[in-house]
Amino acid sequence: MTLKQKKMNTSYLRNAVLIAFVLLSVSCKKYLEEVPDYALPTGSAITDASTARAAIIGTYDRVQNYYASAYPTLGTITTDNVIFNGTLSEYLQLDQNAIPTDNVITVSAYQSIYRTINSANSVITYVPLVNDPLLTDAEKNKILGEAYFIRALSYFDLGRGWGGVQLQLKPTTNLSVLKGIKRSTLDQTYDQVLADLTRAEQLLPEDATTRNRAQKSAARALRARLHLYRKQWADAETYATQVINNTKYTLLKPYKSFFTAPFLTRESVLELSYSANDRNSYWNLWYPSSSGGQFTLKPSDALIAKLNNPAIGGSRNTLIAGTGATVYGVLYNTVGISTDPSYLIRIAELYLIRAEARAQQNKLTDAAEDLNAIRARADVAVTTAVTQAALIQAIEDENGIEFAFEAHRWFDLVRTERAGAVLGITNRNFWLFPIPYSDIQSDPDVTQNPGY
Amino acid sequence: MKNLYKKGFYLFLCIVWSSIASAQQVSPTIKSHLNGIVLDAGTNQPLPGAVVKIRGTTHTVSTDSDGKFSFVTGQSFPYTLLVSFIGYDQKEVTVNGSPVTIRLQETLNQLNDVVVTGYSTQERKYIAGSISSISGSVVQNQPSGGFNQLLQGKATGVQVTTNSGVPGGGITFRVRGNNSINASVDPLYIIDGVFVNNSDPITAGLGNQAASNPMADLNPADIEDIQILKDANATAIYGSLGANGVVIVTTKRGKRNTKAAINLSTFQGWSTAVDQFKVATGPEVALLTNESRVNTAIDNGLNPSTVVLPFPDPSAQQTYDRISSLFRTARTSNYELSTLGGTDRSTYYIGLGYLSQESIVKPSDYKRYSGRFNYDNYLTDRLKVGTSINFIRSDRNLSGSDNNPTGVINSALFPRSYLPVYNADGTYARYGSFDNHLALINNLDSKALGWRTIGNIFGEYTFLPGLKLRSSWSIDNTSEYDNSYSNTLISAGIASNGSASSTENKALVLTNEQVLSFVKNLGEGRKHNVNALIGNTINTVLNQSTSASGTGFAANSLKSVSVAATRSGTASSAETKLLSFFGKASYTYDGKYTIDGSIRADGSSKFGTNKRWGYFPSGGLAWRLSQEDFIKNLNIFDELKLRASLGLSGNQNGIGAYAAQGLWSSGANYLEQPGIAPTQLINPDLTWETTRQFNVGTEFTILKKRLQIVADYYNKYTYDLLLNVPVPYRSGFSSYLQNYGAVRNKGFELGINSTNIQTDAFQWTTNFNISFNNNKIEKLASDISLGASGRNISILRQGYAVNSFQLYKQLYVDPQTGNAVYEDVNKDGQITSADRQIVGNALPKYTGGLTNSFSYKGIDFSFFFYFQQGNKIMNMNDFFMVHGGTQANIGFLPRQLERWQQPGDITDIPRLTTYSGNPTENGGAANNYGGNVASLSSRYLEDGSFIRLKTLTLGYTLPRNVLTRVGVSKLRVYLQGTNLLTFTRYGGLDPEVSSQSNNQNTVGYDWATVPQPGTIQIGANVTF
Repeated sequence: MTLKQKKMNTSYLRNAVLIAFVLLSVSCKKYLEEVPDYALPTGSAITDASTARAAIIGTYDRVQNYYASAYPTLGTITTDNVIFNGTLSEYLQLDQNAIPTDNVITVSAYQSIYRTINSANSVITYVPLVNDPLLTDAEKNKILGEAYFIRALSYFDLGRGWGGVQLQLKPTTNLSVLKGIKRSTLDQTYDQVLADLTRAEQLLPEDATTRNRAQKSAARALRARLHLYRKQWADAETYATQVINNTKYTLLKPYKSFFTAPFLTRESVLELSYSANDRNSYWNLWYPSSSGGQFTLKPSDALIAKLNNPAIGGSRNTLIAGTGATVYGVLYNTVGISTDPSYLIRIAELYLIRAEARAQQNKLTDAAEDLNAIRARADVAVTTAVTQAALIQAIEDENGIEFAFEAHRWFDLVRTERAGAVLGITNRNFWLFPIPYSDIQSDPDVTQNPGY
Repeated sequence: MKNLYKKGFYLFLCIVWSSIASAQQVSPTIKSHLNGIVLDAGTNQPLPGAVVKIRGTTHTVSTDSDGKFSFVTGQSFPYTLLVSFIGYDQKEVTVNGSPVTIRLQETLNQLNDVVVTGYSTQERKYIAGSISSISGSVVQNQPSGGFNQLLQGKATGVQVTTNSGVPGGGITFRVRGNNSINASVDPLYIIDGVFVNNSDPITAGLGNQAASNPMADLNPADIEDIQILKDANATAIYGSLGANGVVIVTTKRGKRNTKAAINLSTFQGWSTAVDQFKVATGPEVALLTNESRVNTAIDNGLNPSTVVLPFPDPSAQQTYDRISSLFRTARTSNYELSTLGGTDRSTYYIGLGYLSQESIVKPSDYKRYSGRFNYDNYLTDRLKVGTSINFIRSDRNLSGSDNNPTGVINSALFPRSYLPVYNADGTYARYGSFDNHLALINNLDSKALGWRTIGNIFGEYTFLPGLKLRSSWSIDNTSEYDNSYSNTLISAGIASNGSASSTENKALVLTNEQVLSFVKNLGEGRKHNVNALIGNTINTVLNQSTSASGTGFAANSLKSVSVAATRSGTASSAETKLLSFFGKASYTYDGKYTIDGSIRADGSSKFGTNKRWGYFPSGGLAWRLSQEDFIKNLNIFDELKLRASLGLSGNQNGIGAYAAQGLWSSGANYLEQPGIAPTQLINPDLTWETTRQFNVGTEFTILKKRLQIVADYYNKYTYDLLLNVPVPYRSGFSSYLQNYGAVRNKGFELGINSTNIQTDAFQWTTNFNISFNNNKIEKLASDISLGASGRNISILRQGYAVNSFQLYKQLYVDPQTGNAVYEDVNKDGQITSADRQIVGNALPKYTGGLTNSFSYKGIDFSFFFYFQQGNKIMNMNDFFMVHGGTQANIGFLPRQLERWQQPGDITDIPRLTTYSGNPTENGGAANNYGGNVASLSSRYLEDGSFIRLKTLTLGYTLPRNVLTRVGVSKLRVYLQGTNLLTFTRYGGLDPEVSSQSNNQNTVGYDWATVPQPGTIQIGANVTF
């Protein structure tokens, strides 16, 4: 071997090592790239028509997450209608209205609502940027309108449960966007709800046959409720009337038809649908173990007596079944199949909103008329109340029966400041749920509700 | 990736090929014949497998199964033989003719043993790291499936808890404490060079209890020995995987030139509950319920005489016993058949095992079928190839016995005892949320069938004496097939008319490794000992899961998902990769001074694009003072070594495969349309959690090697924790995985082996070990509360140890009012969540074991105590069943009878009431069982310290002369008791319990859990 050859060999060797090294480091880098097959990278989540549609669907899914079980539980077991009958102490805490800051149900509802808001914020921020011929302006507006509606609903549900909350209006892309946002007042929270509802009403399409996605009427109905909560009686009446006058909705007879499959009845202004692939097993908390349930939530003896009284409950006695110690609620009744809707807004509510708004404005005859519409549907005689105060009391009682197992009574008694008189919760601090313990620990910008 | 494997494979083939080609045989000149036998000097038993070498040559043979050997050699007499055998002192014998008898003295301690350290073997005396070695016999013939749970109390620095008495169920295994919070705290298990998967493959929900111990798949009978690498010097070579310690298991292999030995062993065991649940009788429950009703009326300002008592005559109530039908005498059967041996070129071990074990609480059980084949072949003098293959089938009947009203134990324990088990029409009666326990026992049908293959093939090529290249290809393939059917006789199936689910979980771990190692004694007098290696690893982990479920069946005998009326399915897959390069060098001078160092670089696909690679160096020093004249002159120490080490190791286990990526997950569907929603925030800087560990230790033997002591102190600091930092919920997320926080573990370990009496006929040895560990969270973003189904009884808080309990500290029950009074931590005069405080911890201050073994002629007797001290247990059974009347569907434990009844009563159980007014009032009735305290009172937290007689064994080995006539070389029969005695103040059934073990941060709960059984077993081992 000549010297030259040797030199050549070494340089070959050096080059080979160099190339091998480069190849290896490139292949190492590639070798370590792994991406999931079930998720999209955040940066390219909403980019075209199909992901925009998927994002609003995902936002509805988030509403399902808190309305399937947690939110209606918060509105019922906290009142005199429903008592704790299970083993899980988080329900006992709610029943006793002694709610620790880490109560599982309040924490789960609070967390799920903000997850909904983050989804809605993402749709509101990114969908306008989508440039896809398959996504028409009409559809874009519909999607945006739904997102504004859902954000309004979410902040409304936070406000009436926890008081004024921190208003997140931008999607969370990193944690720095959170800094410095303090709690708003309840008025500010409700102002935000109103702003979103106004946008939603503009953007949403006119009502078609749909009842399980937001349309103009849903926005108007929620707005009627918002005005009622804010004691803006005239506005409440106006918006309630707009929905009631829509022939798409009607009070169904018998009472139980709205919660008997097939659902999406003419009673419904907005309900969330479930299916075999997307289940709602809320019935499980209401049915006894002999029917396969947990029986954690049980109608109180007082409610059972009212429902069974033909002069009060009328045909609404179909809300309960069973005998003796095992009387249970059957509003959520798709036992085993688990497809009960979440009832968000029924037309009956609009009648009672208008009744109350009218009564407050001293339009007593009109108010009684609306109240009697509800009573007549339940085969109960017309109201005997004549004075304003009596009528308002009668409307409160009617609400308690009509929406016995829906997310109403607790929030009604709190907004009318009657929770002390009716439920014996004289300490007003406990009219609001606590901000979750974990947020108190992790969020320097949040303050706890007084008394917790 | 495929390419890399392919390249490696071609390389390997090339080496095999060239070495076969170069193999040549040379016929020698014969100058002498030598026959001999090697015996144990103590017992005069032959020693098969001893290595006999003619000094100054490479000519080496091994003794056969009768301890015999022979040489046909070119050497002339006299020449010197070097005779060695693991566990015996090496001996030099000059021979001047045939035959010859050589007696080897057993080494009284393990200091001279060869120890498997990271990727190499070293003599224990030179090692600077901290390593515990345990012989396989320690974990054999025990009525437990997993070898790792049997290490409890057997090794220093290791804390083992069997979480429940369910056979094959989950265990907690920690080497020197919890290093992490969200990443894994389990050690790396390596079996014959295979990195094995240790994640529980069973999906069936058992109420947060780990369903299985994946290491129970390994048949303990196959194990030769176990090494536990504890300090940074020992573990750093495993870099990213070693921070939680490494458990290296070596299984049995045959020895060259030995005749086949066939071993047959069996044992039969009978287990019972040492203690069974006790509940208040029907009249007692009625009495307590009345009292609660009256007290509540008084608290509400009502006249008690107006109360309508639910039980006008409590004594008229019946008592229906549910507990006794829950328990049974559980059978355990174990059979093993194995053979090992070797020819001049190859060795083999074949082992077959069958274990069947019932739980003492019906209906769960566990069966394991295992087969192992270990084979090595010296293709040429330079090339050795080998394989280890292990097939396991595990078969479990599961019972969701925890934490669930429809679980077996809860359904028997919680319902009120005056309620009949059956309805009047003979059907199963159910109350409130609870199912009927007999319905469950008779109808539960949840089976987990596991198939696992752990295999390895390797080639080892010796270029020069001392310079070897080893290439190894490993697979650990787990396939878990879970089938569960709830028929219409149990509450889970009533509503849906039968519901079934079928899930297959597959976990595949592929590992390829190349290691080039160099071991040499150099220089004058061979004073320089060098042990060095470099290598690389390519590791892929693929997890796949497919599951189908269905509801609505035509009949209870139809269970297949395919015939369900409504069906749904899901599938998922995740893959992670790890690429590593490593090197290690150790240098010893004159057998006295050792210095070593190692470094490893790891790249993981789990981490952020910015910080994928981590580098983990370590170094150690060892000084054998006993080789120094000034120590020798003292005439005290037979061996004395000081060692110290410092290094880094990493952790990436326990986080998701795509944890660093910002993700919008699909599946957020509505109205049968596909939906997406944000689920994870991006963290491009996510990187390795790193543990820095300092260790200093000593090992010495005195009194003519009769007393051996090993002591270590360590200080581990884990930083850049892979922490799910809680973020404000308003972000739309609950946590963000980032490198934040630090945990420190420091501790002291002491192990003592003593040979108290050593005569030909009688021997008595004692082994004692104790390990102290102190854990502290040094840095944390904010408190993290968790555990007990949202009750947040466990807390992680800076300045405190992990696994702390936060409760309201009950000071006393006011003798005047009977109401509980709690410590008002912030002194605002109210009891609110700010008054919850850390009142204890589930981690023991120290754990240890004491073993005494005696043998007299053929009789052997031993007993083993395990102890742990200083840990607390949250007694959830008391939490639920000492409820003061607040739980209308739950009965009472007898402890409720100790409640306050009248002024002057001194007790820690407050007055019964369900009053809920003024929930913030300290000493108010609301906080007795409800209110803000909501029963989260320290009165349910108990001391969990205990000392337990784990095993007691009496055995008899039949005399050899009797046996040889019937062709048996060894026969031992024995009687053994397990968990015979326990000394504890704990009020629950069993202080060794951890019901919420699925999460490493919720340790120390006792919640409707199967207690550890007491077992009596008989067994026999026969060798032909």
